[in-house]
Amino acid sequence: MNPIISVINISKTYRSGDIETKALQGVSLEVKRGEFVMITGRNGSGKSTLLHQLGLLDIPDSGEIIINNKNVTKLSEHERSDLRLRYLGYIFQEYALMSELTAIENVMLPALPFKKTSICQKRAGELLAQVDLESKWDHLPSQLSGGEQQKVAIARALINDPVVIYADEPTANLDSVAAADVMRVFKKINEDGKRTILMITHEQEETVYANRIIRLADGRIV
Amino acid sequence: MNISIKIPLFLLSRSLKRGNKWTLGLTVFLMSIAFVNLIFITSLFNGIVEGANNQIISTLTGNIYMSPKAGEDFIENPVQAIGEIEAIPGVVAASSEVILPATLSFNSLKGGWNVIAINPEEEKSVTTVSETIISGRYLTSSDTDAIVLGKEIAGDVNGNELSSLKGVAVGDVIQFTYAGAEYPLTVVGIFDATFSATNERAFITQKTLTGILPSLEGKATNILIKTEKTGTEQTTIKALTDKQIAGRFFSWKDMSGIMESVTKSFVSINVLLTFVGILIAATTIFIVIYIEIANKRRSIGILRAIGLQPGIIAITYITQAAIFALFGIALGSLLFVGIVVPYFKAHPFELPICKAVMVIDYADYAIRAGVVILVALISGVIPALLITRSRIIEALSGR
Repeated sequence: MNPIISVINISKTYRSGDIETKALQGVSLEVKRGEFVMITGRNGSGKSTLLHQLGLLDIPDSGEIIINNKNVTKLSEHERSDLRLRYLGYIFQEYALMSELTAIENVMLPALPFKKTSICQKRAGELLAQVDLESKWDHLPSQLSGGEQQKVAIARALINDPVVIYADEPTANLDSVAAADVMRVFKKINEDGKRTILMITHEQEETVYANRIIRLADGRIV
Repeated sequence: MNISIKIPLFLLSRSLKRGNKWTLGLTVFLMSIAFVNLIFITSLFNGIVEGANNQIISTLTGNIYMSPKAGEDFIENPVQAIGEIEAIPGVVAASSEVILPATLSFNSLKGGWNVIAINPEEEKSVTTVSETIISGRYLTSSDTDAIVLGKEIAGDVNGNELSSLKGVAVGDVIQFTYAGAEYPLTVVGIFDATFSATNERAFITQKTLTGILPSLEGKATNILIKTEKTGTEQTTIKALTDKQIAGRFFSWKDMSGIMESVTKSFVSINVLLTFVGILIAATTIFIVIYIEIANKRRSIGILRAIGLQPGIIAITYITQAAIFALFGIALGSLLFVGIVVPYFKAHPFELPICKAVMVIDYADYAIRAGVVILVALISGVIPALLITRSRIIEALSGR
């Protein structure tokens, strides 16, 4: 079976004035469909940079990225946006919820371009129920705890039934109870939905949920 | 629904409903002030020009001014002429006058002014001078040795007018001199028509004039004609000419003389100040909208990260800018029509040529509203496009 993600020798260098930072140096990897892969490493090792390239939030300087048999390296911004919306789910450390939208509105937002509002609302309600937030559908992000906000972000990432979910340190801002709760949600998504998940974590105990662990150091897989 | 409308409407409706009301209110308020600033100057100048024009029509020339046939000094049968003129559709009333460039003197002071011999009842139906008496009374048909002076002629005891009788009051007797004839007249009233050219005139009755200069009985140097509507003068002039009434007819505009150049100057100043006003309003609106949208950098980053097309995101914030502009125009209109216009109606600007109030020209108003919307849209486009073209990661972090 073809891997759902193939990364071939990608590099990324950031420049600030005369200072060059080689964030990724020839990284190659493959992820199989349904895998739960954790990416670990020290701060500055290139974890987030790698996830940004895979999540089409940034463009590598060289190398190729193939997602679901499609080479996404040279796509236009329009095509990259379309792929992000339809096939990828991204969960950020800081939740990245729209502050003026309720929980259900945040979840349904990515589906609005494709479906009727009423259908989006129904599906968003189901997803909020899956993450145990059905009673807080009308809460604004400011009225939710960190763990609850992250679960809303997870529900939003699932609304368009993505082929891959990326999560960038989703538990970093949560207490241990909320973090465990969120991790159980990820495990459930991975096992029940057979979804592929790539997650960055600093927490050693979270790696037990993963099928595979990729360690990065100085922009290279070690 | 088209997604380029559906998503912006979805986001905007929530943003307006749940966004910071103070920020929204302040933004709309600033937009409204910028709009009021734009329409204030033009409405004031419209008011001055319209006020001056009204003063010319209502105190000096009427809508149409009839003078004698070319080569003649007098209209020989003004009573018959008035009868024929008033039979023309659209004519409300007409009044004959004899204008005499006379000398008026009081004690050691004297000066040359136009003294107008009128039929007071006729004159009241055409001009409003009788309504502007500030001391004493207006003329009556039976007055035979009375004179009503304009404020500029009467002057002030301590005034610094270049030429006046320095404080002549009601009851004083002044000397009227014309073509060698000298006659004492009692000042029965002083008027202030709020129009300097009218205030430099004096009025006597035709009966008084006949007593002084019997040869002028039954003659007129001009006839003032009041029409139902201002702006229809040329139609009425054509009807008067077609009816072959003996005389020459001019619209008030033809007779406005120096006031026409003053009016043109006001129009030029208005254009210049409007241009400056638009620049100031545009800069204000640009800054307000730019800051508002630049503060949405993180939200725009989130929308981009989840995959919404940059074009749709830009439309969202450009539409938001347009809504701010519409709200600003609506609030500005309320402030202007509800507060500014009534205030200046109650407390008009007192100018030598008129009491100016705010006059809204709806074409000007629409153009200025369009300018506000256009500037808001441009102000929305620039930051929205800059942010949607920046790196998503930077936008997400609010940088």
